[in-house]
Amino acid sequence: MSEAQFIKPRYKLTDQIGREGGMTAGMAGERARRELSAEEEKARQAVRATIARIEDLCRTRDAGMDAVYDLSTEVLDVAGLYDDRPLSESAYALCELTDRLRTTGREDWSAVKVFVEAMKGIWAAEGPARDQIKSVLEGLWALIDHVKMPEAEEPAA
Amino acid sequence: MSATGLPRDVRMNLERSVVLLVDDNPQALELLSAMFRGFGVHRQVKSTSAKDAQNIVKSRELDLIVIDTAMPGMSGYDFVRWLRREAPEDARFTPVIMLTGHAARATVESSRDCGANFILAKPFTPEVLLQRIYWVAKDERQIVCCETYVGPDRRFKNMGPPLGKKGRRKDDLTGKLGVAKEPNMVQDEIDALMRPQKVQL
Repeated sequence: MSEAQFIKPRYKLTDQIGREGGMTAGMAGERARRELSAEEEKARQAVRATIARIEDLCRTRDAGMDAVYDLSTEVLDVAGLYDDRPLSESAYALCELTDRLRTTGREDWSAVKVFVEAMKGIWAAEGPARDQIKSVLEGLWALIDHVKMPEAEEPAA
Repeated sequence: MSATGLPRDVRMNLERSVVLLVDDNPQALELLSAMFRGFGVHRQVKSTSAKDAQNIVKSRELDLIVIDTAMPGMSGYDFVRWLRREAPEDARFTPVIMLTGHAARATVESSRDCGANFILAKPFTPEVLLQRIYWVAKDERQIVCCETYVGPDRRFKNMGPPLGKKGRRKDDLTGKLGVAKEPNMVQDEIDALMRPQKVQL
């Protein structure tokens, strides 16, 4: 391919979506939420088990940051589909921390442990306790800021 | 309007659509499937790996692919790159929505160049996913095929805001008219402009 070609595809989805029948976007959204609610208990168990596995890794330290990254991704995968923003953000922050650590060939289990405790707190928080979550998340990001990436390091004087 | 900007009364029919859902996390795959059931999609094909998804693409006609980005072995990005370049010709431009959690440093470039129609970051609501499906169905962008990229044209300039969204994009012409340079015309002058006149050829 030396020159760019432009193709105008005709998606079948375009024809299907416009067919008679179906439902309104509002109705589809509500139905999807009902379907998700029916799966919620299983999803909560899965998230709880994944956080427990990360906690185990903090204790045994027999795996690397890659394993923690993969597990925090699992939490984000499930919490993200429920639009659980605090839990998703804490899982995302743990992904960011472990990604920074593994990119620079480091491990910091104490920091991971702080994140796990934060995730457990967010998980259990209800009512007024949920108001404190914002400051917890800010604390996690402040911790991540201490894990400098090579390109962010100050040049030697 | 719903929280997403897609009007709640827009009608959509996905009953006959065949949707491939790919996620290595079985729990997330089930939840995604539940969402699509809610949208009225009865014909779902589920896969927990991009490798299996390749075989499905080769053997079935699909209307939409929804795939997670980070998966062990073949990632979602690699899958879309394969789809756009090496899949059977009639499947090559099947619309793709990618779902992403955390964008690891090693994958940032891949995500930009893979050729998906839309990338949706978690967390999201069912309404947001539905809106992206709607956008894909109404997507009028051409597919660009060149050595370094195969996928929807990423230049949105002058196309206006996305469907269902109000407002303008940063580079669109401004809506401000500025200060008038001449006095307003009087009605007689306007009438004179509208009056039919003889044309000399």
